[in-house]
Amino acid sequence: MASLLEDKSNRLRMTGRGGELVGAYWDELFTARERGAQVVWYNGHALNPLFQAAGISWCHGEAFSARLAAQHLEGPAQLAGEEYGYVNELCSYSRTHLGCAVLTNDFGESETGIVDTVDQRELASRLPEPDFFVNGYQGCSTGQQWDQMSYRILGKKVPIFTLSLPYMFGSKPDAGYLVGEEWETATDYVVDQLEKLIEFLEVQTGRPFDHDKLGEIMSYIKAASQLRREAMALCMAKPAPATYWDWVASIAHINFMPAEQRLIDYFQGVKDEVADRLASGVAGVADERYRLYFDGIMNWNKLGWLARKFADADAAVICGRYTHQNFWQEPQLIDPENPLRGLAQHYLLCSNSQGFKTLKQAMTKDCDDYGIDGVIFHASRTCRAYTNHQHLLARVAENQLGIPTAFFEGDIADAAFYKDEILETRLAALLETIDAKRARN
Amino acid sequence: MEHTAVSPLAAMSRAAEDPTGYVEQWKARTGGRAIAAFPMNFPAEIAHAAGLLPVIVQEDRNPITLGNNLLSEFNCGYSRNLADQAATGRLDAYDGFFMADHCIQLIGAADVIRELTAGRRFYFGQLISSMNDPWTTDQARLTMTDFVDELSSFAGVQITDERLRESIKTYNRGRRLLRALYEQRRSGDSRFTSGELQTMVKSSMVMQREEHNALLEELVAQSSAAPRDDRVRVHLSGHFCHAPKPELLEVIEESGGIVVDDDLFHGARYISTDADESGSPVDALVGQYLDRNVNIPCPTRAQSDVDWDTYLLNAVHSSGAEVVISLLVKYCEPHMLYLPELRKALEAKGIPHLLLETEHEGMPLETMRTRIEAMFEQAKRSRTLTRVPTA
Repeated sequence: MASLLEDKSNRLRMTGRGGELVGAYWDELFTARERGAQVVWYNGHALNPLFQAAGISWCHGEAFSARLAAQHLEGPAQLAGEEYGYVNELCSYSRTHLGCAVLTNDFGESETGIVDTVDQRELASRLPEPDFFVNGYQGCSTGQQWDQMSYRILGKKVPIFTLSLPYMFGSKPDAGYLVGEEWETATDYVVDQLEKLIEFLEVQTGRPFDHDKLGEIMSYIKAASQLRREAMALCMAKPAPATYWDWVASIAHINFMPAEQRLIDYFQGVKDEVADRLASGVAGVADERYRLYFDGIMNWNKLGWLARKFADADAAVICGRYTHQNFWQEPQLIDPENPLRGLAQHYLLCSNSQGFKTLKQAMTKDCDDYGIDGVIFHASRTCRAYTNHQHLLARVAENQLGIPTAFFEGDIADAAFYKDEILETRLAALLETIDAKRARN
Repeated sequence: MEHTAVSPLAAMSRAAEDPTGYVEQWKARTGGRAIAAFPMNFPAEIAHAAGLLPVIVQEDRNPITLGNNLLSEFNCGYSRNLADQAATGRLDAYDGFFMADHCIQLIGAADVIRELTAGRRFYFGQLISSMNDPWTTDQARLTMTDFVDELSSFAGVQITDERLRESIKTYNRGRRLLRALYEQRRSGDSRFTSGELQTMVKSSMVMQREEHNALLEELVAQSSAAPRDDRVRVHLSGHFCHAPKPELLEVIEESGGIVVDDDLFHGARYISTDADESGSPVDALVGQYLDRNVNIPCPTRAQSDVDWDTYLLNAVHSSGAEVVISLLVKYCEPHMLYLPELRKALEAKGIPHLLLETEHEGMPLETMRTRIEAMFEQAKRSRTLTRVPTA
């Protein structure tokens, strides 16, 4: 497996076309200033429906960092962050985005001697300066502090709103997935927080918030999410017609694209293509022999590489925590007539905001539903929110589900932490273990 | 450092170094129940009012073995050490676990502990960390009230306002005694080393408060002021959850430095703020929580109208510290995020700054010694050039 001679991954054509949608979104954001639009920088949960309803252009910090990493353009921003003083063990999403803030603030020529001036101008001009910040982090405490730093880098002049969201640890005796006192109390609390955010948006825009528009937006999201979940469910079939990498390629759409008919059309196209493949026996991996579950956040530097790498070993990565336990994954909770409750509940459901009790239950269900043979853990070096429970989850997979596991090292947006040889040997060992188990049975 | 009050300090040192031993003895002696609490803002007064012994779990000296198979190697040493303590039965003396702070790495350790100590209560009441919103006070009050209810239920005791107010008084007394020592240190009194002061604060997180207060009073009564010598005056900064290793403090002092102030959790930060003794005790604890972040801002909180760097400059000015040493716990993200702001502020004022990264194991003390010595040499040369008074 040392060199990849053949690309056996068979990615959905639709996700390639979906790239045009994503590109158009970013182009529109980059020209927001020219259009006279207000810009919000936000982090954490998918607050974009509220911004869309308020008529604001939105830039999701993690998404911007992930985009740079996926395009291998993260280097200058990370270098600017490093020069400013950020240690490379810090969340690479935040380092990338804060590096952009440093450049945006025009420290450029005076404070950065390493980052090429062309790169500086390019990054600084591409990402429009914010009119205000909104922080919506829950699971990862670092995310909340990241915006506090952006606020300071930009001179404490840009208004900031911090949405306070409770971590769903499951302290109460009746705590569980979508049930219990904690779930209900937290939902009410987050709805109240969202109402306060809406008041903040009204102040910032000088306009009354359009609640009807929000309901309409959420109806698009609900429909798109239902199609996405239905398409995912078709992949319980063996061989799977699409893989985890296809769902990763659709994250931008479900997570922060404008909610409109085009979004529904996109996921309808995805579902249709998956259904067509299923009908005609076309698989997401040419010779599917192993069905894997991927735990961890995405390694954005290596999306295409990892898709080919696993396919080369006849391993179809079918589902994962990042794709399947996030992003409006319970569309039945969305009520366009009363949209805030559904928004609040999906923020609470984010998988890196859940305690181990819930994560264990969710992984067990996915492994069962999708007929999983092995679990691969992406130990993302600078994202503790996603690695926190991995060792406990591995124990569950091994000891309770009888499913072998393996870890590999990488990162969300810093390519330096990815070690290809480690993945190579550990993946080989995992697949051999699956073979041995099959032979025994 | 010569002083006569050896016994109280020795008693504190035993508790600080072996909290489990202290807890076991306390339980045997009193028949009471002990709870493990976690940094940074757990309202211990409420547990005390319930008749429990609240102990902030300390990083211990054991090498991390099983803990490294429960949390990733890039979690901070404290969280991995906590996981290791749970996995090896070193938390068995505790009857329950209570936590108030949302740090993603601490939450990882909390879930490991809950999983490995099944059957014992683990309650996470999350204090709001956005500190200056119009609704912050109300939300913090709800969480404090939850703690009162949970700890009442856990202890089987009704925590009345009167009981809670008495506990607040007890804790305030201890904080005042410790703050007086820290204030004396700032003012030029060096009767206690930084290691000894750390022992006092650390043991206060472990021991029953009445007992600790009595020891403190005895210790203060037995000691006398000692004027500071002309070593380089150091402000120690960082370490939000666990104590820096005493040997590191010794290296600083052996290298020609003397710590005159700090913002460590096992230091000025922990003892900085009292709760009001007159009004509603729950409101008093809320006020204490909010005021503490104003008195010594913590980068684990989100508060846009106070800054750690501003505080640090004021503290350095007030104590006359000549240099700042930042002790960064490896992988501590709040600290990593804030470091550039500290560096900028200190550089703007011409205050020398040294960053030392600490770890649970394998800390390169001799390398650190060289860097510390070099910094102190520069500081001394700077004295000659600027004729800064030496004490």
